Amino acid sequence: MSEEQGGKKVDPTEQLLAMREAYMNVWAKSMGEMVNTEAYAQQSGAVLDAFLTVSQPFKASLEKAMVNALQQLSMPTRPDFVSLAERLTNLEMRLDDMDGKLDRIERATAKVTTSAAPARPKAASPAKPNRARPAKKKARRGTK
Amino acid sequence: MSAETIETNQFAAMQKRLQTLTKVMTTQAPLALTAKETVWTLNKAKLYHYIPQVPKEQRHPVPLLLVFALMNRPYILDLRPGASFVEYMVKQGYDVYLLDWGVPGIEDKNLKFDDYTLEYMPRAIRKMKAVSGCEEFSLLGWCIGAILTSIYASLRPDDGLRNLILLTAPLDFSRKEELTFARWTDEKYFDVEKVLATFGNMPAEMIDYGAKALKPVENYVSNYLRLWDNLENPLVVESWHAMNTWVTDNIPLAGGAFRQLIVDLYRNDRLMKGELMIRGERVDLGRLRANLLAIIAESDHITPPCQTEPAVAKIGSADKEIYRVPGGHIGIMAGSGAAKRTWPHLDEWLAQRSK
Repeated sequence: MSEEQGGKKVDPTEQLLAMREAYMNVWAKSMGEMVNTEAYAQQSGAVLDAFLTVSQPFKASLEKAMVNALQQLSMPTRPDFVSLAERLTNLEMRLDDMDGKLDRIERATAKVTTSAAPARPKAASPAKPNRARPAKKKARRGTK
Repeated sequence: MSAETIETNQFAAMQKRLQTLTKVMTTQAPLALTAKETVWTLNKAKLYHYIPQVPKEQRHPVPLLLVFALMNRPYILDLRPGASFVEYMVKQGYDVYLLDWGVPGIEDKNLKFDDYTLEYMPRAIRKMKAVSGCEEFSLLGWCIGAILTSIYASLRPDDGLRNLILLTAPLDFSRKEELTFARWTDEKYFDVEKVLATFGNMPAEMIDYGAKALKPVENYVSNYLRLWDNLENPLVVESWHAMNTWVTDNIPLAGGAFRQLIVDLYRNDRLMKGELMIRGERVDLGRLRANLLAIIAESDHITPPCQTEPAVAKIGSADKEIYRVPGGHIGIMAGSGAAKRTWPHLDEWLAQRSK
């Protein structure tokens, strides 16, 4: 698809692409500047506000009607599910707190076990197992 | 070659292009494939732990927690094999965790920065410490994730945070003339309460429109032309498909957090003024003491450099660095240049501070 022009090959497709690129750059720059103006902010705000003014009462009345209908049918409504979900999250947080406490206990127990570990080889002699006992007691205290 | 053969070949080529186009426009690319396990959940939030891929002796002892924005999926950090920040960091020997905020439902419309920074993050961090067995950790926050990590690091400077990495962090909202979002969400034109009264949460579609409308020609026209021009190049098509899957997978932003973002930050710049209150505690960036790396994207139209630089000056850390990268808001971490510039620098900086 290329043509010879003054000994140099010219590809019209490439030229078209270059033109398109240049045009796109100019367009992108002007649109970028346009959206960053007060006028654009004002217009988009007005469009959104009009949409919300129309849709908000419609949405609210639809939700109310749906709640009434579901209640009449003894079915759970969205607010019921929302309140249930909130309660579940609270329960999850309680469980997570307990998990945190268990982690701390595990760490404390591991520390006590590690610090008591050097005493173990000495436990071969009959008098020494008694010494290890206080350490075990400490571990138990740590779990409370 | 006869005219008929040329015509047949052209028809076959066009048919193939259309098939590729239909595939990438109508299917989801396989993403977030780095091996991981879920180690903690709370409400919609999940904490993932990526399975280490290097021997224990070659690993950095300090774990790294990644915190992404609230209104996009965090798998941009683990986009696809060979182009995944998570995969890269795991291969460099980091113990990587990712906090996925999940998709807020209507029951989460009251969630605020307060909940994310003082309920969710400390719990996830506690779990990460328990799993990793290390009391110190590094934190990486990107975009709104950087706001959350900065708030957390300022409020809990003694929680074991050793290193903080902020990517394209929108912390300073004082230069309103350079912030298109600030103009759009000005109280003269934008009624936050009306939006939240109608929807509860900020709808994903509106967030998506807002982000794309900042650069309308690039997002609505050039992006598709780039795909059309490269339909015969499988590498470009694969990359485009992955990014398009992520870009179109939007999630809503919890109403309470959206209100804080607009009213406290975009309109009143309370974080920089030292007036931001989180559960009754004043957020003072000067209290932040962790080693700090702030990465700025030079062509970022969502978080321009002027939103990060002045904030870094206010942060109290003794060891802080600003690293400027050519590229946009997402491109610096998920674009073709990320693996050559951003990731190696981040790794180099963090490795020295993770011993």
